[in-house]
Amino acid sequence: MKLKKTFVRLATASALVMGMGAANAAEVNIGFTGPLSGGAALYGENTLEGLRMAAEEINAAGGVKVGGESYEINIVSLDDKYSPSQAAVNGKRLVQQYKTPAVFTPHSGGTFALQAFNQRDGFIVMSYTSIPSVTEKGNKLTVKIPPSFTDYIEPFSKMAMETSGKKVAVANATHDYAKYWTKAFVPKWEAMGGEVVADNPMDYNKSADFYTGVSKVLAAKPDVLFIGGASEPTGLVVRQARELGFKGSFILMDQAKIDEVAKVAGGLQAVEGSVGVTPLGSSEIEGARKFVEKYQQNHKNVATSETAYNYFAMHMLAQAMQEAGSVDDPAKIRAAMPAALKKIPAEYNPYDVNGISENGALETDVQLAQVIDGKVVLRRLSDVLSQ
Amino acid sequence: MDLFLQQVLNGLTLGSIYGLVALGLTLVYGILHVPNFAHGALYMVGAYVAYFTMVDLGLNYWLAMIAAGAVVAILSVLCERLVFHPLRHAPPIHDKIAAIGILLFLEAVVQMYWGADFRRMPTPYTEILHFGGLTIPAQRLLIIAGAFGLMGALHLYLKKTMTGATIIAMAQNREGAFLVGIDANRVAMMTFAIAGMLAAVGATLFAPINLVYPAMGHLLIMKAFVIIILGGMGSIPGAIVGGLIIGFAEALGGFYISNEYKDVIAFALLVVILSVKPTGLFTKGVR
Repeated sequence: MKLKKTFVRLATASALVMGMGAANAAEVNIGFTGPLSGGAALYGENTLEGLRMAAEEINAAGGVKVGGESYEINIVSLDDKYSPSQAAVNGKRLVQQYKTPAVFTPHSGGTFALQAFNQRDGFIVMSYTSIPSVTEKGNKLTVKIPPSFTDYIEPFSKMAMETSGKKVAVANATHDYAKYWTKAFVPKWEAMGGEVVADNPMDYNKSADFYTGVSKVLAAKPDVLFIGGASEPTGLVVRQARELGFKGSFILMDQAKIDEVAKVAGGLQAVEGSVGVTPLGSSEIEGARKFVEKYQQNHKNVATSETAYNYFAMHMLAQAMQEAGSVDDPAKIRAAMPAALKKIPAEYNPYDVNGISENGALETDVQLAQVIDGKVVLRRLSDVLSQ
Repeated sequence: MDLFLQQVLNGLTLGSIYGLVALGLTLVYGILHVPNFAHGALYMVGAYVAYFTMVDLGLNYWLAMIAAGAVVAILSVLCERLVFHPLRHAPPIHDKIAAIGILLFLEAVVQMYWGADFRRMPTPYTEILHFGGLTIPAQRLLIIAGAFGLMGALHLYLKKTMTGATIIAMAQNREGAFLVGIDANRVAMMTFAIAGMLAAVGATLFAPINLVYPAMGHLLIMKAFVIIILGGMGSIPGAIVGGLIIGFAEALGGFYISNEYKDVIAFALLVVILSVKPTGLFTKGVR
């Protein structure tokens, strides 16, 4: 009897909560699931901050205008601690409780977990991951925000070989993403006439110290070190490699950003010769400069690319909703994205994204960065390859 | 040969920090039989206090270390007074839950105030010494010397002073200690203060070659628990020797066998040692 009462109460309570969620008609919820606590909390917060900034701007400009009505964007964020299974639980909750037409997630594990049911439950997965297979499986409601990491391998290898030499040692991290990189990187490097003299990945998040691992790869006398994981531990690896007498250059996996690595490693001279993705602060693109300006008004730290990419993706999503004339039909919104990309103002586009492939990958001619004489020098990917 | 000596040095650096953190854990366990899961969080708070004393107040490294030690010692005593003391008659599981609660609380508070950013702690000792083919940054020497110095000081304190003797008496026999008139409250507070201080000093020593962030304690506390189980719960020499064993296993195993499997090597060692000596290397109790 008592149990039954509890159930009735529970049912009423949840009905009330759901009712409240749906009551406010002039609002559209956008979901986010990512790491907001634990070791990757900073990364999760950075991606979420991009969404928040864009949402604030959209709302300040009157919201998303669809069919004569304007909708305010409301970001609903849930913590998944980087776990794919938790991301799936969060995804279900976001669609069922908050009716989100799109869910952002900043990791590949979460993306794959959400792709298991996003077409059936009807929401777009806005994935911030550069693993190409995310969009190669034929999922019709997936958008991959950053460029694929495989685009970087050839130009990075070319630049590093020209600067330092043909002997590379692999000393990147051990998580899945790093393994994908190694698997694609090693054959390419060898095909270009290089040699892999040591392969010794290290757990960047769980190692108290990298001296052991770094001294092991340096014993093989490489010209180039292929490293990378989160920027800050990568900086430690660079610093310890320099302390142990390494004189060559580094190839930085795209997860690590040159400016952040340099901060930990002891300045840009510590990463001399290294190649990596462009730090947002050194970009000459108009949208990037505008974004950094806006970011610095309200933040003390430096703007990161994950914030900028997610900021852009939120603006694009809002634009696509207007183009589609719908805030709740994911298929229509996805179909309107090419049109939205043409209309989106340059100031919201820090990376000059100019297209979206049929299977949902955003396209841009990426800028690559190399540190030469203590300065970050930028080159377009297409230029590097055509030389 | 140089490479081997380099790994020995790495093992010594890691082992001394592990030992220092494990010491505080084992002391508290020896007296109160509480596995203090919050110890890693105290370590993290120590690093933050030292960081802000240096960067915001502009004080020097040693003053920052003293400040960190003092603040965390007080925090640790507060934990004992406000949380563990009221729970002294409760079943042991309550202590464990409370300890995890403190851990989550401290991490959340630090993240709320200072954000999840990674920070680099500056150090005045940036020289890199070379002996033949050996590379030794000064900060690493400082870590080894500092950790062993502290361990020595702790040993003298426990053996040569009256208050130290009361801590040992409590660990050996609780009832006996009460019978000769030892004040249990005082000893508990003392022990927590020492444990907190050790964690904070360990953090201040280690942070300059690592990073400061809210989850930094997880890494060490896992290892510290392995160490005190390996060395014998509550044993001081056990914590030091256990710390060195894990440190060397990581450095030498990581170099000569496989860096990917260095944790596996450390845990395999734990299994082997426990199957030979199920109580750990050293018998229980502070001696």
